[in-house]
Amino acid sequence: MATFADLMLGNLSGDAVTLADLTLVQAAEAVRDGDATSRDLLDACWQRMEAVNPTLNATIWVDRAGAVQAATAADAARDTNSWSGPLHGVPLAHKDMYYQAGKRCTCGSRLRTDFVPDYTSTAIERLSTAGAYSFAGLNMAEFAQNPTGHNREFGDCHNPWNPPYITGGSSSGSGAAVAARFVYAALGSDTGGSIRLPASACGVTGLKPTQTRVSRYGAMPLSFSLDNVGPLTRTARDCARVMSLIAGRDPKDPTSSHLPVPDYEGALDGDVRGMRIGIPTNYFFDGADSAVSQAIETAAEVLRARGASVTRLTLPVMDAVTGYGGIISRVEAATIHAEWMRHRAQDYAQHLSGRMYPGFAIPAPYYVESLSRRGPVLRAFAAEVFAQVDVLATPTIRTALPTLAETDIDNGPPGTEVTFLAVSANTRPFNYLGLPAISIPCGFDANGLPIGLQLAGRPFAEARLLRMADAYQLDTDWHTRRPPLLGTTSDNPGIILA
Amino acid sequence: MDPFLAETELTITRWHGVTAPNEPARRMAADLINTIAAFEALRGTLQFEDEPASFEAALLDTRETP
Repeated sequence: MATFADLMLGNLSGDAVTLADLTLVQAAEAVRDGDATSRDLLDACWQRMEAVNPTLNATIWVDRAGAVQAATAADAARDTNSWSGPLHGVPLAHKDMYYQAGKRCTCGSRLRTDFVPDYTSTAIERLSTAGAYSFAGLNMAEFAQNPTGHNREFGDCHNPWNPPYITGGSSSGSGAAVAARFVYAALGSDTGGSIRLPASACGVTGLKPTQTRVSRYGAMPLSFSLDNVGPLTRTARDCARVMSLIAGRDPKDPTSSHLPVPDYEGALDGDVRGMRIGIPTNYFFDGADSAVSQAIETAAEVLRARGASVTRLTLPVMDAVTGYGGIISRVEAATIHAEWMRHRAQDYAQHLSGRMYPGFAIPAPYYVESLSRRGPVLRAFAAEVFAQVDVLATPTIRTALPTLAETDIDNGPPGTEVTFLAVSANTRPFNYLGLPAISIPCGFDANGLPIGLQLAGRPFAEARLLRMADAYQLDTDWHTRRPPLLGTTSDNPGIILA
Repeated sequence: MDPFLAETELTITRWHGVTAPNEPARRMAADLINTIAAFEALRGTLQFEDEPASFEAALLDTRETP
């Protein structure tokens, strides 16, 4: 099985390398070009999953029979030159909150253990139309409401780079499965950082699109105003391919944008000359770990060497961004869960019911004020910031990654919630502002856990962010490192400490 | 019990029929005092014309153009 993989991944060698190590784009091309069958890909992913998942706990359910059926159908279609699209025959798996008609969807919670939706989410539908199929429901924070990956009902998800540490959440299984290379790409959702945090913690690429860019139809709601659907992948190019498929107007989600979808993959030309990068001097580095700060500076230098300029700037209206941004999701989540909070509160983990509970005490005028100020705050932020720079560069997580134990509110001492909530301090602002932001790996901390570089831009600047992320990945190899769990290869030692 | 927390718990029970499910819930409810402080600091910025739909308009007006 390693023969084709060795061919595609000339820099890798060793027994541990399989077709599961291909990127999403490589896997799709392998099927298209007849170098591998869909069944080959599925078997490689399945074999890898069986090897590493007992350590990671990245899945909630698996569907071997359905996946084999889909792979067989894809291969039969290929034999008759009947192509579905740019992901023909590629096995995927997604955060277990995307509805698929007739398939179990737990939302990571005891309260939805047996829930079977009767309709399919638009994002899943579009990936399916492109030829992909899914073989598992991936672990996640209960109802997508923690930044760490804890899950009382289905078990905590563990970091492939060092299992006692958090994966980041709430798309914990998506981050872990892509990093452990048993899923080529996975959908996550991002209301306060839930795509970018696991991308950062697990060393993969994750994009939170502009608010309204991707339909939320059929995705479990957490906060109607702040929820976003987006991909976690190994590379920016993979991310671009998924975005090209899932973005765009959906009549089933009236909030989705009418703007045309650019050719994200076609924009990846490595050219960042003239692009202006801004590194904030306020907020995003407050209390940052020195290894994290240094990694961001070094990453900026890589992009400067490619022709981008790097400047420092003070961000405006950050008090409003953080003050108002903290209100909306708490109120909306409390409202959505009110009936269960009244009658089945003990069926939530403590950290979850504990976070929702104060939402009931926030006065309606505070909530409306937070929504009302969102437009004016965005205008003020954009006018000042994007007059000076095109892209902001910050750490995705500003501290060294904590362990699961250090952030376990349910079993930890009072005050644990401070460490828990600090994980998402750098991602939440871009949810309130509605801006697109991508996290890409840019180093490792002293404990061998990945560090994420967060790039954020104007509304609908996904193409620019993907181009910059891809350019960075052309000059660095952080995204190609393999977690030690997968075994090392002679040419790629995996982890290198900062 | 802290008077602010007692008042908050009473309000939540009266208005929503929800009781504090655990100690972390009480700790996080007590922390609402900081939310009030954050909003106090922002007083004076809200404009009469501001309304929720302006966010979607702002996204379009400030967007990246080719």
